[in-house]
Order: sequence, then structure tokens, then C-alpha cells
Amino acid sequence: MRSPAPSAASSKGAASAAMAGALRKTTGLVGLAVAENPHERLRILYTKILGVLENIPKDAAYRKYTEQIVNERFDLVKKESDVQKLQDKLNCGQIEEVIVQAENELSLARKMIQWKPWEPLVEEPPSNQWRWPI
Amino acid sequence: MAVAGKGVVSAAVKPIFSRDLGEAKRRVRELYRAWYREVPNTVHLYQLDITVKQGRNKVREMFMKNAHVTDPRVIDMLVIKGKMELQETIHVWKQRTHVMRYFHETETPQPKDFLSKFYAGHNP
Amino acid sequence: LFVFPVIILETFFFSLATVRPKNEVEQKQLCAFGEYVAEILPKYIQQVQVTCFNELELLIHPDGIIPVLTFLRDHTNAQFKSLADLTAVDVPSRQFRFEIVYNLLSLRFNSRIRVKTYTDELTPVDSAVPVHKAANWYEREVWDMYGVFFANHPDLRRILTDYGFEGHPFRKDFPLSGYVEVRYDDEVKRVVAEPVELAQEFRKFDLNSPWEAFPAYRPAPEPLKIEAGAKKEDAK
Repeated sequence: MRSPAPSAASSKGAASAAMAGALRKTTGLVGLAVAENPHERLRILYTKILGVLENIPKDAAYRKYTEQIVNERFDLVKKESDVQKLQDKLNCGQIEEVIVQAENELSLARKMIQWKPWEPLVEEPPSNQWRWPI
Repeated sequence: MAVAGKGVVSAAVKPIFSRDLGEAKRRVRELYRAWYREVPNTVHLYQLDITVKQGRNKVREMFMKNAHVTDPRVIDMLVIKGKMELQETIHVWKQRTHVMRYFHETETPQPKDFLSKFYAGHNP
Repeated sequence: LFVFPVIILETFFFSLATVRPKNEVEQKQLCAFGEYVAEILPKYIQQVQVTCFNELELLIHPDGIIPVLTFLRDHTNAQFKSLADLTAVDVPSRQFRFEIVYNLLSLRFNSRIRVKTYTDELTPVDSAVPVHKAANWYEREVWDMYGVFFANHPDLRRILTDYGFEGHPFRKDFPLSGYVEVRYDDEVKRVVAEPVELAQEFRKFDLNSPWEAFPAYRPAPEPLKIEAGAKKEDAK
């Protein structure tokens, strides 16, 4: 999954942690630019997600699990200032990919409010629908 | 089935486009008009050996073949397929052979009565 | 000299059990993830199952296609970003005869999932194109082969059959020989299509296997019942 570019950057960046972000020129992934200020971006996104989740009923499983994921990551982002170390701790790809994941989660959370998937099943299938073989 | 009442139909099944028979019929008329206008163009583009009149009669015949259908969903489905055929014809994705297939020129008519079936020598 | 290693290999392979080994860890993971998704989307998911080959299947209501696929694509714990395949299955004896099958791949977590839903000939299904661009041609194929209409598809038209082709060839009630045959006609100088005419011996296809197809799914023998009539006779 992980492209060679970040590891090369990390070996250089290990010398001076503050320079790590500056030395990374590419994520090695097409269409994914290096984030200028990942901490700030993630902070905004996670705050937004948590804000959107407020509109979902408290007992909905989606809210419960997503809050758990987001809070976990948010804590790491708050604690760890070094990008490379944060990446390793999050363990979900490069920091830019984590940002994309947060963006997706935000758009999903907004859609979920419309769909209300925590409601009971819309309709039972006909009795022989999922029986196989017939 | 559809005539039983639009309330029943819309409650029980998901409509494709039309909620009732009137709307479905409107779509059929729209499609018929589009085909009617397209026929001269088609005859010219494909250089068919038929007159515009013959072409329009064929269009009419094809529509009348499904005149007995009353379920709006079935009508919608037929209109969808008709629209796709029209699109294929307008864009000349079809060739002359595909257009002329509607006319069944080369087919020998199937024997109908017993004796001619017997002469034909097989029993389909 | 050359034969020797081959024999070794053969004996090696044959000594292994011919039964597929069970991967319990993977199965448990899949079960856990299936329960996780079912807990989050109870509105749409009718059933979750793991097949004997460790494939997770979500059986959903047709209303939930867009929500479920979007959830699987965008949720941080799922990330099924790639639509590997989309197809249909025709089972004419069911009320909703077509099963629509979506195979998804999560590159992030190296796992696959199968989403299944159902429809009949006249019920439109929501197109998955807004969620996965790859669905475009697959849905055209399903439309062409089974005649399932996809609502909101950007460009729904035939993809495999010839222009003017009638019927949907993958439906179980479509005859194996088709309805028309084509040939070049020298008189009209073009290809013509005529109703297919086959001699009687070529018209019947016996596809039944002499062996039993699903021995594992044999219906359980009915428990012996004492018939009402027999009792009466005894009483007499």
C-alpha cells in the first residue's frame, strides 16, 4: 500500500523532525498533493465531523462508532506534532490519505442524516428470496 | 391490473416513470411523434428503398402491436426500449440491415393450415 | 532422472488433504465486520452471511443500494473504494427473480465484500454510477442481458447485443438457440434476419446432469406420519 516516497522522505527527515514536512515533495500517489498543514486540516475536519454527528440520535450505532474512530484519531493529532510519527501512529497510510478519509467520512456523515439508516428494516424480503439452492 | 386503480399500483409497486396510465400514454404519444418526424430523415440517411409513407405505416404498426398493454410500468418499459431504438436510428449506429429488419422482406410466411404445413414437410 | 522430482511433487500434493483448510481467524474477522455493518445500517440490511469460502455477503433491500455502497466506500473502517464486479442472477421461481450482485474491494484493508439485492423485470433499481464510476458499463451489460432497468443511469443503452436485437439473452426463459438467425441475402444485397428454424433433433437440449447437483443440500426426509385414513381403518 505504502509508496516508497514517504519512507525515503522519513529517512532524510529523521535527522531533523521539524524539517520532515518541508523535505517531503510528493506523496507518490497520483492526484494527491502534499498537505501544507495537515494538523490544522485534520483538526478542522474532525471538529466538523463531530459537529455533524451531533445531529444523529445518540443510540445510533453509526454515531457511536464514528465518534470513537474520530476521537481516537483526533487525540493522536493533538498529541503528536511530528507528521512522520503521527502517520506511524495512525497507521492508515500517509497523512494526506488520512485527510482524504476524514473528508469522505464528513460527506458520509452528512448524507447519513438524510438516509437515517438507524431506523428499523424498511421491508422484509419474500420468504424464499435468499434461499439457495432452490 | 393497472386499470384497477392508480392508488393501488403506486402503493404496491415502484413506478418506473409514470404514476398513472394517462402519464404513460403521454409518453407513448411523445415517442410516436418523435418517430413520425424521424422517418423521412431515416429514409434519406440510410438510402432505404421505401417511401416515407411506408416507413410511417411501419411505425404505426409497431406501436399498434402493443396497443393492448395497460400496465403503466410495462408501457414505460416499452417506451424506454423504443427511445433507445430511436436513438440508435438517429445516430446511425444501426445499418441499413437493422432498419430493414422491421419489414421482414425475405421471410417466407409460415404455413398456417394443416395441408400447407403438411406440404412444407415439418411440424413446428 | 527427470521423472523423480515430478513424483515427489505429486505425492506431496496428494498427501495434503483434499479438503479446503478452514481459516477461522479470517472467518471471525469477516463475521465481526458483517455484524458491525449490520448494526450501523439496520434499515437496509436484511441478512449477513459468510460463505464456505470466506466471502462476506450483505443481503440488502433494493432501496438501500446507494446508502450501503456509499457507506462502504466512505466509512473509515470500510473503504471499499473499488467496484470489482457487478452482475445479476436470474432465478425465475422467485417473486423478485433477479439478484443484483456487487463485488467490492477495499485496497486499504485488503478485503472483499459482496452486496446482493433483488428486483423483478419491471422494478427499476437505483444506478450505482454516482457512487462507483465503474458501474456504468456493468449496468449497461445487466440491462442488455437481463433487462433490469437502472434509474438515473447516465447512458443506459445496449452494450453487447446487436442493434435491433430483441429479448434479453441471459434470462432463463430465453431459448438457447435464440429467436432469429442471420444470413447474407444476395437478392436484397444485405444481411437479413429470419426466425430461427431448427430441425427437431437440434431443438431440444437435455442439460440435466445424471449426477446429483447439491448433495449437501438434500431436503431432510419427512418424518413418518400416521395417516388419518389408516387410523380410521384401525378403529373400524
